[in-house]
Amino acid sequence: MKIAAQEKGKTRRARHSEQVILFAVANRMFAIAAAAVQEIRSTDSLAVSANEIDHSEILKVRHTLERSHQTYYVVNAGAHFGLPVTRPTLVLILRRLRVAVLVDRIERMAEIVSIHALPLAFAGEERRWYRGLTYIDDHVIPVIQPSGFLTTDEFRCLDRATNAIAAPHLAGAFQA
Amino acid sequence: MIAEIQSAGANTYVLLQLASRRFALRSAIVSELAPPVRLHTFPHTSPLVSGVIVRRGRIVPVYDVASILLGRSSSVHRFYLIARRNFPGGPEASAIPVSGECELVTAELQEASDSSRPCISGQLLIGDESIEVLNFDALLTSDPAVHNASRRAEAQS
Repeated sequence: MKIAAQEKGKTRRARHSEQVILFAVANRMFAIAAAAVQEIRSTDSLAVSANEIDHSEILKVRHTLERSHQTYYVVNAGAHFGLPVTRPTLVLILRRLRVAVLVDRIERMAEIVSIHALPLAFAGEERRWYRGLTYIDDHVIPVIQPSGFLTTDEFRCLDRATNAIAAPHLAGAFQA
Repeated sequence: MIAEIQSAGANTYVLLQLASRRFALRSAIVSELAPPVRLHTFPHTSPLVSGVIVRRGRIVPVYDVASILLGRSSSVHRFYLIARRNFPGGPEASAIPVSGECELVTAELQEASDSSRPCISGQLLIGDESIEVLNFDALLTSDPAVHNASRRAEAQS
């Protein structure tokens, strides 16, 4: 009976808690659900497989990554959040989205039990950027909305740009 | 102060200090005067919002109203005055940094001398002093950039 009660308690806690990765960009801390991140790599290890992309409208994306026959757009988190320029050392490759995010460093993992809704006072782009706010060790930390890194329109723009770059190579291949 | 505010009548106002100036808010929307707890900041694009504080387990946005009312951000504050801002989705506790103790007064609301500023709903005459009564909702929807540009234009004319 005692064991069963403990297990029940554990289950209840697990249901309400969420594992997050705390990462830093320009000395600002953010949280992202661990389940939303597929892989964390160093920028050095991806330097060979990254391709440059020049898109004047979407300055936060400068590179693409090819993974599993899909093009991932590499978003500079500092540029995305309007923070000072830094030297990112890590890339978070997101799950279920063709997005990889450049960040400065990973602080640690944490378990959060609640996410507070973003106050209505915040009415700008942050409503798309964040799922809400969490309170960890006396710090209020925004919890990232993974789909907020790139809008559908931005994806469309970037897809057009990458297709335009790929097209001349294809034309050359057919001619040969 | 919370008990005093809660028992206050319709013509009661909370006088608040911003740098060297005093303003008034209807006491009905004021909930408390909070100590200068830590301001938490994170990236956002909402003008006037300087961050959030945690008060009684709730996350409360903080508005830099000094940039609207004084034309500059107030670097020194001693307390946060927490009042209710109305949104279409319901009211939200909102904090403004104030420079000193607040005072509860009862007075008749007079017409504002300058009707061109929607964030001022009237004035109170207390002794020799004329104190502007703030329209809290209008004040918090003001855009500091627009407001300061109009202040500069007024100063030049």
